[in-house]
Amino acid sequence: MTKIDRSLLEDILETIDAPVVILATDGGILRFNKACERLTGYSAGEVVGRKVWDFLILDEEIGAVRSVFEQTRGDDTPTHFVNYWKTKNGGRRLIEWSNKKVEATKVYQACIIATGKDITEARSQEKALSESKAFLRSIVDASPVAIITTKDTGEILTFSRQAELSFGYDWAEVIGNNVRMLMPAYEQSRHDGFIERYLESGEGHIIGKARPVTALRRDGEEMPVILHVSEFQDDQRIFVAFIEDVTEQRKTERRLAETRDQLQHVGRLGAMGEIASSIAHELNQPLTAAASLVGAVSLTLKKADRETNRETAQLLDDAVDEIRRASEIIRNMREFVRKRKTARSLYDVNKVVEDACKVALIGADADGVCVTTDFSPKAGEMLLDRIQIQQVVTNLVRNAVDAMKETPQRELRISTARQNGYVEVRVEDTGDGISEEIEKHLFQPFVTSKEDGTGIGLSISKSIIDAHQGEIFGANKDSTGCVFAFRLPVSKNDLIPGP
Amino acid sequence: MTSSLAPNNASVFLVDDDLAVRRGVAALLAAADYAVVSFESAEAFLLDLPELELDNAAMLVDVCMPGIQGLELQEQLKAQGVALPVIVMTAHGDVAMAVRAMRSGAVDFLEKPFTADEVSSALTRAFSAELPAAEPNESLASDLRTRFEALTPRETEVYGEIVAGATSKEIARALEISPRTVEVHRQNLMTKMEAGSIAELVRMAVALGICD
Repeated sequence: MTKIDRSLLEDILETIDAPVVILATDGGILRFNKACERLTGYSAGEVVGRKVWDFLILDEEIGAVRSVFEQTRGDDTPTHFVNYWKTKNGGRRLIEWSNKKVEATKVYQACIIATGKDITEARSQEKALSESKAFLRSIVDASPVAIITTKDTGEILTFSRQAELSFGYDWAEVIGNNVRMLMPAYEQSRHDGFIERYLESGEGHIIGKARPVTALRRDGEEMPVILHVSEFQDDQRIFVAFIEDVTEQRKTERRLAETRDQLQHVGRLGAMGEIASSIAHELNQPLTAAASLVGAVSLTLKKADRETNRETAQLLDDAVDEIRRASEIIRNMREFVRKRKTARSLYDVNKVVEDACKVALIGADADGVCVTTDFSPKAGEMLLDRIQIQQVVTNLVRNAVDAMKETPQRELRISTARQNGYVEVRVEDTGDGISEEIEKHLFQPFVTSKEDGTGIGLSISKSIIDAHQGEIFGANKDSTGCVFAFRLPVSKNDLIPGP
Repeated sequence: MTSSLAPNNASVFLVDDDLAVRRGVAALLAAADYAVVSFESAEAFLLDLPELELDNAAMLVDVCMPGIQGLELQEQLKAQGVALPVIVMTAHGDVAMAVRAMRSGAVDFLEKPFTADEVSSALTRAFSAELPAAEPNESLASDLRTRFEALTPRETEVYGEIVAGATSKEIARALEISPRTVEVHRQNLMTKMEAGSIAELVRMAVALGICD
């Protein structure tokens, strides 16, 4: 090399932005360029002659660095290694090194040239990116709503943990497949239509709106879900579907709707029975009077013992028979309703009461009623006619809500308890309470304080509780409002959890 | 028609809160030659009781009245040592109450509305028989016992429940059989006991001493 060549090389070495360090074969520093000085804060004068691992290398990396150094020294092929350098003020920089051995010449001893690239910032960004991806994934996987992302072609890109649970697929089975596999046939065509329309017009019927649709599980079961789709543009268009499995919700809704229907049906029957019962009693009195009067006339005629009288008496006896028939009809009507087959089975008392409350309280939130429940686990299971008992609970709860229509304080408390051989269900309100006038005839039919009331509810409730060998009572509380409660005796056939 | 007419000077005290019923039943009894005194309540009857001629008299009382009810009146009379044959009148389906009345010593019960024949035969029994709880006829008693012992265990059980005032449904539940089966047992039971009505069945039970 000429002198000029050497000075040119020197200039290159000192002006290049990459750190370049030249080491002797024992690891001592021969050259430490400007970039190295900027990087570490050491001047070349401070470091020349010192071994790199004595002050620049982290303790934990010394072993690895030395072994790479040995390898470089013993071989002609360049080596690459990433390690930290400690700076003068205690910081550290991550540097990607390329090392190459240079054989000894007449001018130079053998040495190793290491050229580095400071990748500290690049690596921390990369790390942050991968951390934020992991963070995002953990959120997606923790979401109780299934999250699925797809391309605009419908190809599934990601499938969250909840998606796996809801649909019954492992994510590996669905990635890359078309999202149509998650819907029943009749939803597939709708779905295609929606996508097509959206891509063409940019108008989304499905974007940003929650929609009830039917999804298809792996086992072929259809599943009612609420679907919410949003989209974002990356280097391609991505759809994000949020899918909430509402199977349980629908089941509960259906059960409550059924309970409501049954209650209404039985309510009507019960009202009819109660009315029939009252009518039977009221009507039976004049029928008795009429039958007796006609019987009296018949007897009188017979005593006179004349042929024509006897014929007339026969007609009167026939009239008595007809009166009795009228009485029978009412009796039958009453018996029909009374003797309706009651379906007694073992039921969880709390569940029965809870369902009835839900039905009775539809709309109560809107009325500003604050409801608290206190269901004792000791209530257990009892042999009862579920619908009938629910009818009683509904009656009591509706009465309580109605009683609080005009009051500022609207608190409803429903509780169950078990004590002294019976299970008790209580309904307490903070309404106007029971007037003295009503109190005397509380459970009699046609007695009501409501403007549009029939006065049948409590009367039916009493009949039902009587039929269960229980008791029902209502009274004003010491504070505002009143309490209604019924008790059902615990029999040997009931299952009560131990105390 | 075999309406038996009243024995001489027999009188009936009629207690019912319904005016029309009092008028009607009083007319029927009068036509059957009973002397009738009507009362609108148990209280009214008790008020007049000291002045009433109780010999050769019977009482026809409604079980369901405001104030003192038929059964209570019956108990009160028994407690006061007033020996008056009592027939109770019930509305439909109050068998339980009727049975209780009979166990407290009522001679019979009548379901409203009733015919002249029914009320006549009930009253005839009230007047002709000694009070039912009193010395039963020996041969009749042994006859009853023979019939009673011919019952199956199930029929005996059903009999006991009926006398205790249970409805068919309640019996069914207590014995864990269907109400329809209870009906069958009851029919057989009545045939075997030669009882024409529940009232008669209860009366027999009282005579047999199988009531509590």
